[in-house]
Amino acid sequence: MNPVAPPAPLRSGLHAPLRLRILTALPFVLAAGTHLLLLALWSDRLPDRLATHFTLAGEPDGFTGRTAFAAAGTVALLVLGAAWTLFTQRAALWGAWLTAGLLGTLLCLLLGDNLDVTDPAAVSFPLGGLAVAAGAGAVLALAGHALSRLVPPEDGPAHDTGVDPEAPRLDLGSGEVAGWSRATASAPLTALGLLLLAVGAVAPLLGGRLLLPLAVLLAVPGLALARVRVSVDRRGLTVRSTLTPRPRVHVPLADIAGADARDVHALREFGGWGYRFRARRTGMILRSGEALVVRRGDGREFAVTVPDARTAAALLNTLVERRGRL
Amino acid sequence: MLFRVDPASSVPLGDQIAACVRGALADGTAAPGERLPAARELADSLGVNVHTVLRGYQRLREEGLIELRRGRGALIVPGATAPDRARLLSRLRETAAEARELGLTEKEFLDLARTALG
Repeated sequence: MNPVAPPAPLRSGLHAPLRLRILTALPFVLAAGTHLLLLALWSDRLPDRLATHFTLAGEPDGFTGRTAFAAAGTVALLVLGAAWTLFTQRAALWGAWLTAGLLGTLLCLLLGDNLDVTDPAAVSFPLGGLAVAAGAGAVLALAGHALSRLVPPEDGPAHDTGVDPEAPRLDLGSGEVAGWSRATASAPLTALGLLLLAVGAVAPLLGGRLLLPLAVLLAVPGLALARVRVSVDRRGLTVRSTLTPRPRVHVPLADIAGADARDVHALREFGGWGYRFRARRTGMILRSGEALVVRRGDGREFAVTVPDARTAAALLNTLVERRGRL
Repeated sequence: MLFRVDPASSVPLGDQIAACVRGALADGTAAPGERLPAARELADSLGVNVHTVLRGYQRLREEGLIELRRGRGALIVPGATAPDRARLLSRLRETAAEARELGLTEKEFLDLARTALG
């Protein structure tokens, strides 16, 4: 390990390699192409007005002209494709293939259902079509995930970067074993969860029956996230709800390049509370303030707001360096 | 709270774990009312036997520093006096160790302590 290294450059989708952009655009172009090809091949077998919108029972309740349908489908695919291509990331390539696969399959199934009919009102789109689209989307997502191997990882080898010499350390004897553990709670998440439950409990009295299951569905994960236990030990960093051991977030020690304690701002840096995803960082954000921030092998960051984060960071850095010496 | 144990030390591991909690409470890194990690979890974390951790927790309970509740785990006793109590207990242990080094018998030590209480 070299002792001093510049911080890894932040690489968002705006600096993605060309190969990644092509692989991201590809499924959308293929879907749009297939859709237009089918329209052309079946031009004399399709009615002028296509049934394009259906009730849950599969009965058509919306119709579109053939040209308008071709234009709308193509534009939707190309706009989505352009957006995906602009903000693409190696780790999210499968998402582009999933999106294009879902939409493309739906468009083609619609065309197939309209085939050889004279009255578009007689067309039916069975719900099973949605399952077929989801299946095709899933298969393409797997293909997209496999294709991401063709793109080199976004950052160089990270284990060479070493731990920041300024970062805190713990003086730990060579035979000593250490672990750090701390429970922490979120006032905003607890308040929000309880408020949701209260609204859900009152809503049926006012006639909003559907609100109760919805409120429970949102409040239970919220409340489970509102109290977590953060532990750091020879295995790495683990964050889990104090209510259940799983699900949990685990960053193995082998994947940690360094750790530090700093103040984070929930809204400004993570856009809210809870388990948050951002381009180059994820976070278990229970409040603004002191947080343990670990840098992963690939340069991404994971942050968890917890008191006494400095001790946790010091222990992690010491364990990471001890691992390096072995 | 930081737990650190040295398997090579002559101090029993359970006592080392108890000393960590006492120390954390004394220096403010653990607060009254805080919940300690479950014994099984801490044992996995440190790679020690779960009974070792429970022995440490039991010792802390005898000292009046934590409450053990079935199914709810270990809780540092709430109340502002817990840190002071932890400091006193730490010093008491140091004093006892010093007395042992000086070769005092248990009775001599207790007599001295009684005299000090006046």
